[in-house]
Amino acid sequence: MNELAAVDEIAELVSVESVTRRFPLDHNYVSALDDVNLHVHSGEFLAIAGPSGSGKSTLLNLIGCIDKPTSGRILIDGVDTSTLNSARMTALRREKIGFVFQTFNLIPVFTAAENVEFPLLVQGFSSSVRRERVAEALESVGLSARANHRPDLLSGGERQRIAVARAIVHRPALVLADEPTANLDTRNATQLIDLMHDLNRRLGLTFIFSTHDQRLLEHTDRIVRLTDGRVVSDTQSGGAHNAEFQSDEIMVTQAQMKGSSHGQVLASSL
Amino acid sequence: MGKFLLLAFRNVFRNRRRTIMTLVMVGGGVVGLLLVGGFFARMFWGLRESTINDGLGHIQIFTAEHFNREEKHVLDTGIDNWRQVAATVSTGGHVRGVAPRIEFYGMLSNGVKSGVFMGSAVDPVAENSLGFSPRIAQGRDLDTKPGGEMEALIGAGVARSMNVKPGDGLTLLAVTSDGALNGIDVQIAGVVNTGYKEVDDRYLRITLPSAQRLLQSDRVTNLVVGLDNTDNTDVVAAQLAPRLNGLPQQLVLKKWIDLAAYYKQVRSLFSTIFVFLGIIVFFMVLMSSVNTLLMTMFERTREIGTMLAMGTPRSWIMALFVLEATLLGVMGAIVGVACGNLFGFLLNHAGIHLPPPPGTTVPMAFKVLYVPSLMVGSSILVIVSLALAAILPAIRASRLQIAEALAHV
Repeated sequence: MNELAAVDEIAELVSVESVTRRFPLDHNYVSALDDVNLHVHSGEFLAIAGPSGSGKSTLLNLIGCIDKPTSGRILIDGVDTSTLNSARMTALRREKIGFVFQTFNLIPVFTAAENVEFPLLVQGFSSSVRRERVAEALESVGLSARANHRPDLLSGGERQRIAVARAIVHRPALVLADEPTANLDTRNATQLIDLMHDLNRRLGLTFIFSTHDQRLLEHTDRIVRLTDGRVVSDTQSGGAHNAEFQSDEIMVTQAQMKGSSHGQVLASSL
Repeated sequence: MGKFLLLAFRNVFRNRRRTIMTLVMVGGGVVGLLLVGGFFARMFWGLRESTINDGLGHIQIFTAEHFNREEKHVLDTGIDNWRQVAATVSTGGHVRGVAPRIEFYGMLSNGVKSGVFMGSAVDPVAENSLGFSPRIAQGRDLDTKPGGEMEALIGAGVARSMNVKPGDGLTLLAVTSDGALNGIDVQIAGVVNTGYKEVDDRYLRITLPSAQRLLQSDRVTNLVVGLDNTDNTDVVAAQLAPRLNGLPQQLVLKKWIDLAAYYKQVRSLFSTIFVFLGIIVFFMVLMSSVNTLLMTMFERTREIGTMLAMGTPRSWIMALFVLEATLLGVMGAIVGVACGNLFGFLLNHAGIHLPPPPGTTVPMAFKVLYVPSLMVGSSILVIVSLALAAILPAIRASRLQIAEALAHV
């Protein structure tokens, strides 16, 4: 069985099909995403890279069901999100997706443990289950000792690890991280990358994150590169990325991308 | 729910300065309502008790005809067997005593000047036993000895217009129950200041035997019943009504509130003023809180976006804002009630007197009454006001576009 066939057997978690997102600007529209196709399977560790304004955050917002495409459709775990009403979109986000934000976005009046507990609270878990899961999540990010500290008493790295714990505590199918290392120094950024990668490998969690942080890209299995709202490359296997992005030799056209159903090394197969 | 309440509670104290300012505003509203309402309540209480103790009594008994048909002459519709009725009533619970009265009118003259009077004939002993003492400005009260001199108390206005003083003589003229004109001479025992100028200008008080001689009748117009406590009025009235039904003459009971027209007018006027004040406080708290809560909402836009992104139902966000405002209202009410009672205590012990109200001549002591229902009502008012103030910010928060909220700086 070749690599392509093996990947096909794994369930497709996210399917972005011909998605366009335009925003009104004065009397015109600006196109943030233009006919984007992307397929992500369970357990992938995927980076969406590109310069500022390339559409990374917009794509993450669409996959995270916090925005709706102008055209095209997105399937999460086989569910066509364009058919869902607001309440069902909310339920989908609540149950299947975890979010990590660039600015951590912890609730400042809650302790670290209470912040991690919040998604479970929203899902209506009992207090005993919540306690157990929060302890596990904090343990997995190595911050059990800081459970009762408020965010303002934590370092930036600790805050982002708490945010990761919050994103995984309800055992989502997918974790979306928008520029998770942008506000961290090198040491904390490296620790966070290692943590996310470890969670990906150990728990089989699917991570999709937007970044232009080279440190993070070096540790990423698959990189989808956006420019001006279009996918310009989709590459797999970590070590070669650095050189690849610097040389920018391997480029795929949008038409070529459209035919691929997953994240194989498209450029090399072409 | 506990965690949700905890979140709301902590959010209230997130910006302490703003919270304190809101508490001062809300508490100030409650303090204002408690002080004004407490002062009005004390005024109502004082007016009620003075109205009763100035001679109205708690219950009055009349013949049924007194209110049903037009009276041609004084005592046409009086109570015949009033001693029996008084004895029956006196045996009831909470009854301190019964005083017979004749309310009549006529003319008076000192030989130089004449004038009209609104007279009241009383049994001084019975009146004194009920504490119905006229406010003597000069001289003394009527003699309590039976068969004494025929004496009269006159109002300060009468004394001034007639240019008479205690010890001077007056002739009283009135129409008897048979329709004849009769007159008696009385000596002025004292001058009374009722506090109401219109009353003082017509006031005359003589003993019951004097009036019965003047009016040529053994009847009385009414019996005044004094109770141990005003709050027992309804209970006693309910007990007395069936007992009076067994008597030969058909009698009716009137409670003090049915007869105190001035008290009702004053209460109605000041109650309206208080309601108006309550409305002002309500909207003051509402409008200023809307602004504060909107500011809070804008400051927390990204946080709300984060909560929504995590799948928090929009109804929860709305409930959170309303809950926070309600908590703020509860705390403001507690602060207001505590401060209101403290200020009330200080004012009650400051010995402040206000100028005489319109129509009266006696300065009024500034006292504030502690009224539990007022505390509860004022608290509910500000809590509801704040909860309503939160609705607009809550709706706006719950309708935020998540992606835009997350990008909010």
